[in-house]
Amino acid sequence: MPRSLVGGDLAVPDMAQPYMKKDDDDEDVEYSPFFGIEKGAVLQEARAFHDPQLDARRCSQVITKLLYLLNQGETLTKVEATEVFFATTKLFQSKDAGLRRLVYLMIKELSPSSDEVIIVTSSLMKDMNSKTDMYRANAIRVLCRIIDGSLLTQIERYLKQAIVDKNPAVASAALVSGIHLVQANPEIVKRWSNEVQEAVQSRSALVQFHGLALLHQIRQNDRLAISKLVSGLTRGTIRSPLAQCLLIRYASQVIRESSLSTQNGDSPFFYFLESCLRLKGADMVNLEAARKITEMDVTSRELAPAIKKLQEFLTSSKPVLRFAAVRTLNKVAMTRPLAVTNCNVELDILLLDQNRSIATLAITTLLKTGNESSIDRLVKQITSFMSDIADEFKIVVVEAIRSLCLKFPLKYRSMLNFLSSSLREEGGFEYKKAIVDSIVTLISQIPDAKEIGLLHFCEFIEDCEFTYLSSQILHFLGKEGPRTSDPSIYIRYIYNRVILENATVRASAVSTLAKFGALVDTLKPRIFVLLRRCLFDTEDEVRDRATLYLQTLGGEVAVGANEKDVKDFLFGSFDVPLANFEASLRTYEPSQKPFDISMVSREVKSHPIQEKKAPGKQPHGAGATPAPVSAVVSYQEMLSSIPEFSEFGRLFKSSKSVELTEAETEYAVNVVKHIYDNHIVLQYNCTNTIQEQLLEDITVVVDAMDAEEFSEICSKPLKSLPYNKPGQIFIAFEKPERVPAIGKFSNVLRFTVKEVDTSTGEAEEDGVEDEYHIEDFEITAADYMLKVAVSNFRNAWENMDLDSERVDEYGLGARESLAEAVSAVINILGMQPCEGTEVVPKNARSHTCLLSGVFIGDVKVLVRLSFGLSGPNEVAMKLAVRSDDPEVSDKIHEIVASG
Amino acid sequence: MVCVFGCILRFHGVPAEERLHWRSFLVKLGSENLKGSKNEELHVASHKSVSIVYTLIGDVCLYIVGKDEYDELALAEVIFAVTSAVKDVCAKPPTERLFLDKYGRICLCLDEIVWKGLLENTEKDRVRRLIRLKPPVEP
Repeated sequence: MPRSLVGGDLAVPDMAQPYMKKDDDDEDVEYSPFFGIEKGAVLQEARAFHDPQLDARRCSQVITKLLYLLNQGETLTKVEATEVFFATTKLFQSKDAGLRRLVYLMIKELSPSSDEVIIVTSSLMKDMNSKTDMYRANAIRVLCRIIDGSLLTQIERYLKQAIVDKNPAVASAALVSGIHLVQANPEIVKRWSNEVQEAVQSRSALVQFHGLALLHQIRQNDRLAISKLVSGLTRGTIRSPLAQCLLIRYASQVIRESSLSTQNGDSPFFYFLESCLRLKGADMVNLEAARKITEMDVTSRELAPAIKKLQEFLTSSKPVLRFAAVRTLNKVAMTRPLAVTNCNVELDILLLDQNRSIATLAITTLLKTGNESSIDRLVKQITSFMSDIADEFKIVVVEAIRSLCLKFPLKYRSMLNFLSSSLREEGGFEYKKAIVDSIVTLISQIPDAKEIGLLHFCEFIEDCEFTYLSSQILHFLGKEGPRTSDPSIYIRYIYNRVILENATVRASAVSTLAKFGALVDTLKPRIFVLLRRCLFDTEDEVRDRATLYLQTLGGEVAVGANEKDVKDFLFGSFDVPLANFEASLRTYEPSQKPFDISMVSREVKSHPIQEKKAPGKQPHGAGATPAPVSAVVSYQEMLSSIPEFSEFGRLFKSSKSVELTEAETEYAVNVVKHIYDNHIVLQYNCTNTIQEQLLEDITVVVDAMDAEEFSEICSKPLKSLPYNKPGQIFIAFEKPERVPAIGKFSNVLRFTVKEVDTSTGEAEEDGVEDEYHIEDFEITAADYMLKVAVSNFRNAWENMDLDSERVDEYGLGARESLAEAVSAVINILGMQPCEGTEVVPKNARSHTCLLSGVFIGDVKVLVRLSFGLSGPNEVAMKLAVRSDDPEVSDKIHEIVASG
Repeated sequence: MVCVFGCILRFHGVPAEERLHWRSFLVKLGSENLKGSKNEELHVASHKSVSIVYTLIGDVCLYIVGKDEYDELALAEVIFAVTSAVKDVCAKPPTERLFLDKYGRICLCLDEIVWKGLLENTEKDRVRRLIRLKPPVEP
């Protein structure tokens, strides 16, 4: 039971109003006990708490009013809160049980500040040792809510006693307090392990439940201990279904963590899960077990009983069980649709379920498990059902329809009709966008669907209220429309936008028209007439676009040598990732120097700079750099701002940071390798983790003896490195142009240390020179390869020159597994795996892996790797490379041969 | 995360800025689905990664929201505990007036059932004793 919550209550007035049946004359409101309640008056009433003769009934009423006010969102000023708190503590004098219970609640609600807590601790400590059990339980709960770590050690002894108290309410209070406290004070709570262990064996169901949750929290980082805990309890008798569910979760966690070494079916824990499926009269336990089994990587035979159990729950009379079952089956259907097909009859019935959430989950499950013949019926059913459900459910349905259509492309007609009729219905932006995106995907993947889909789009933009979607569709029409059998039919719809829409849409429509003019010669003269009309538009952008297209397409302004150059200029792709392009444009400052698109990085991969940063850990190195769109863009900006490196040209690639020190050493250093055509720049990110030291004049002495092709040309040392403020050292090397030179670099950090007085933060004047050895690292061939994915590998492969192909075979020797061999080769090449081929199916004897990338010099490379197992674990590999440059194909073979 | 929600609204683990969003989301959910709902009929929904179980008891809407281990099944236990406790305190499905009359008691029941987002007690008889500071009777 991990704690997910931090405190804080909020009350909002009138929450219960929507469905309050009001009496005709609103009498109820008038006679509400809180009618006309005012904070000031209630605070006056609270003075009764100071009476020497306490009236328990009256005081209880005042506390109730205060609680009501606080729950309604009323806040007390600091002074008011303190006054009320002090007054409330007076009430400990009363022996009235009802009042005492309210006092405990009131103190928790007031959350007194640390200087006030002291007032109430003695009363609470007294209650904690009281003979009255319930005083003890409540005092524990209040104390644990308001105290801090130092006070906790004082009451620890009592808490340990309370955990094993024979009164279950006291034990539960202490255990739940432990669950809350373990977050902030793990070391203290860990010491209660023995008592908690005893509580888990308690006869009380709730004490077991709370004990188990706390024991798991205490041991959560110790895998072996968890495994022991689970194996002990699965054999014993856990009474509470809630605790049983916890145990199921912990058991499945153990199975997951040890699944590498054993098969699921053999694990005793798996038998435990299966037995939980069969437990009588414990729906919650059955369902939890079924859910956990479906989440595991099990065989169909192992999965079947779980599915069967879920199937039974689909017809339960309890909506919660139906919901839980269908939600689980829905998840299973995403990865293993065949396993769920047996439940189709029950799912069909659920389509009529009164609870729309259940019906939506049923339909989306059916869409995943259904076969081609049932699609038309399903789509018909959904259509009648869509108007009843909220947008977020509709989006789920639309996405399910899209994947179904891609699975059964022959059925595109009915599904496109469904999507386009949904487009015409009421709905918010997110929903409409989901539909438009789905139709775009279908048109792109199913050629037959193109013309119908485009016409649906044309109808939609006639009446579309979302500028973003209109622009998106117009752009898409311009891309696909000219290549249809009769492009002229779209022109009317597009030109209507120029007449009827806002400036953004009009500008998009002008571009779309121009594309038709450029690509369809027969339409060109008519398009020109339309474009000329746009020259009188009220908006600059629209007129500018019209002028540009008319001048360039009409040949009045010469662009390039022929018509193809004009089209490339107007409509060609930028050949750089748009995110990088946008980031570069944002940092460009208008000056004499024009923006140079060739300086924009082509690397698509975006990895956050502080990838290693974990909570509680000191940030490493590059923390000083602001978070970028893509790391390489920000690196490019940072490096080009350093005069020494500004002439190096475009940054080809920046590696991930490589740690050069172990975790938690005095100085944390990692290196990022920046690759240029003729140079490399090594960026050492350093952090000083010793508070008592200031480092000055820090530099890295690099020995490039094992990297002959590199010669150091300049370095940028770091002036000073105060505690916990990361800094960077740069060293640049020259290397032969576009040659993927490799080598090993050994490094020593050299600096002057000065002692710092931590109380004043001032450093001593004199320092001592010192050195610190950090790890070696290598520049490998993979550093010269950019991971760039291709959307359709087969097309890309076939479009490459056959002459550039180089094929060879390699024996990789005995390997741990086929998957390990595949990932090793991918790492050596540093290329992007395509189409999910980096994943090797379990027990596979052979595997083909497709890789793509861009090699230094902007050479596109594609690789096909075919692996086979011979003998026990002997792996053989066939490597086929095609690239823009046959020499690079050879180079790839050299890399693999030497790797 | 559990939030119990009648005239009393409690959030645990929900950032302050998201609370209003939650409030309007739940009100909308209730207005779409609780109309004509039977007394204590259980409704269930999910929103992003959280589960929501809600019901109408007398004049009062009750919503319980949770995530992770507080899935729909665990929340059903919680809502059952809350409805039984409310009925027990009010002696019948409450009108708005009755609910407010018993406000103090109901606050105490909620404090016993859910404590800072963790389920602590589930049985109404036990809760009834606890709010009177009487020790529970174990079966």
